[in-house]
Amino acid sequence: MKDNKKFLPGGPGGAVFSKSAPPGRRRRGGDLLLKSTGFFYIGLLVILPVVAITAEAFKGGLANLWRQITLPQALYSLKLTFLVAIIMMFINVITGTLTAWVLVRYRFPLRNVINALVDIPFAIPTVVTGIMLVVLYGPTSDIGKFFNRHGIEIIYNKPGIILALLFVTFPFVVRAVQPVLMEMDKDIEEAAQTLGASRFCTFKRVVLPTLFPAVLTGAALSFSRALGEFGSIVVVAGNIPFKTQVSSVYIYGEIESSSIQGALGTGVVLLISSLAVLMILNFIQKWSSKYDNPA
Amino acid sequence: MNMTGNVKRFLSVVLVLFFLVFLIYCGKEGTADRSQEDRLTLGAYTVPKDVYQKEIIPAFQAYWKEKTGRRVRFSESYTASGAQSRAIGAGLEADIAALSLEADINRLVKAGLITHNWKAGKYNGFVTRSLVVMVIRPQNPRQIKDWEDLTLEGIDVIYPSPKTSGGAMWFVNAILGAGLKMSETSGGQQDMAYARGLLKRIQGRVKVMDKSGRESVTTFEKGFGDVLLTYENEALLRQLQGKDFPFIIPRATILIENPIAVVDKYVDKHGNREVAEAFVNFVVYKEAQRCFARYGFRPVDEEAAKEFAGKYPVPPLLFDISYLGGWEKVNEVVYGSEGIWSQIIRELGDER
Repeated sequence: MKDNKKFLPGGPGGAVFSKSAPPGRRRRGGDLLLKSTGFFYIGLLVILPVVAITAEAFKGGLANLWRQITLPQALYSLKLTFLVAIIMMFINVITGTLTAWVLVRYRFPLRNVINALVDIPFAIPTVVTGIMLVVLYGPTSDIGKFFNRHGIEIIYNKPGIILALLFVTFPFVVRAVQPVLMEMDKDIEEAAQTLGASRFCTFKRVVLPTLFPAVLTGAALSFSRALGEFGSIVVVAGNIPFKTQVSSVYIYGEIESSSIQGALGTGVVLLISSLAVLMILNFIQKWSSKYDNPA
Repeated sequence: MNMTGNVKRFLSVVLVLFFLVFLIYCGKEGTADRSQEDRLTLGAYTVPKDVYQKEIIPAFQAYWKEKTGRRVRFSESYTASGAQSRAIGAGLEADIAALSLEADINRLVKAGLITHNWKAGKYNGFVTRSLVVMVIRPQNPRQIKDWEDLTLEGIDVIYPSPKTSGGAMWFVNAILGAGLKMSETSGGQQDMAYARGLLKRIQGRVKVMDKSGRESVTTFEKGFGDVLLTYENEALLRQLQGKDFPFIIPRATILIENPIAVVDKYVDKHGNREVAEAFVNFVVYKEAQRCFARYGFRPVDEEAAKEFAGKYPVPPLLFDISYLGGWEKVNEVVYGSEGIWSQIIRELGDER
């Protein structure tokens, strides 16, 4: 809880809360109940299905699982999935941080409305996102025609997939960076500048290190989300094997053609990658907060 | 953890109550009260949704009321054929399965849900027929007439992936069979190498493979592509809706047959076998067959077929699945992991 303290809004309200409720027997009973309910819920909702999927995948044996994963079509879909997710992540880190910066540091009309709009991608069914992108950038739209004349295919090719992923994961980085930026004291930046640091130097040496864990969180979340994205991609990608078929679409195809083992093999790779990314994130955050907060 | 003990206790009680209510509610769902009326659950594929909802079901309700004096209430579920078949297999208690492919019914047979010989009926268990046709742009700007035209440079062909849409196997089967049939007619002998090459050359022109037939139609309607492979009934349905949706029937194409069957295990559980069987018999009556015919399906009933003969011309080189050796063989030889389809996809991938 110590690490979280700095994110809590300060002020008298917080102080009142932390003073209340002296430890006692009744309180511990409530704690236990609440804790076990929480664990039960996480177990039921997340752990159980994940364990079931993993167990089912390994049922056919490790060799079989490996064979399913290394099928050329499965392997290609995995490569493509990671490629587009990584490209998307880098773009997202830059644009997301920028957006958060603008929303926090600048005052302009309709700022609250625009701020609310950031979450819209979460609210729209991803299939609708896909259709919207096809209508906007598809080969029959004006924009699509313009790009096609210059030999660039957006929809039904890889740029379309990245575009869809950018839209779907847009809020992650913004919403991770925003609160940290809001909490950040401008004094430090000003101090740095008084000491003769350039704006760029201040950003690099003062702002960026503070934002780093938050940016990382946003990046990791959007990356994990991108690995599993299906609804929008299946509409915009074209889904041609060895060209534009990502893993989630490959998995769907395997399920539809009753090859559950094939689906689980690729699924487990996505699952483990996602888990690894989130674990690494956790580790880096712990590590950086240790240096951040030596007290 | 900055919460008072009271708030925490209150919250935990609420959470526990929430779970209890949730669990009780879930448990109750299965034991809904049984009233006087008959109930039927229809698990169907998406394509005939309109005709079932607007024509067949109301007609059957009237028929059943007249015959027995009882009302029959329908629960209907429509989704892609494969998904529907799996849903029924996994416990969606549909009394009747009306699906796109024999294979999807056979899955229920293998699962032990359908125990009678569903192919013993008058029309081998089929309720409707259709063809694989080519939808083109109005005035046919690309001058498409036959299968070979789909392989030409610059033509964009659209059909869904047979991996994600069981129904899409019809399209691949149609191309493969047409290749065989055309080589047989011109050279006197079935030329598998030609058929395989034709499929590969057409597949090479496919830039978008949607996950279902309906979505492919949508992609085409949005203006992408020169040729769309779809079912004749799907194209006729669009025309019925007043859309400019011209299509050509290639001279060699496949006859599609869609099965329907009573799901024994669930009708026995629900005690509604009588009404379920009546429904499966009803849909092949002339009256129901005419409804299907109006909605773009080729009737299986001979009399209805005769009445609509003008609407449904028979192409000269029509063949059915048995021409390719039946579903079982096709599933292995074409769609198996080393089948023709899988090989072609790999080869096209290597060439990219």
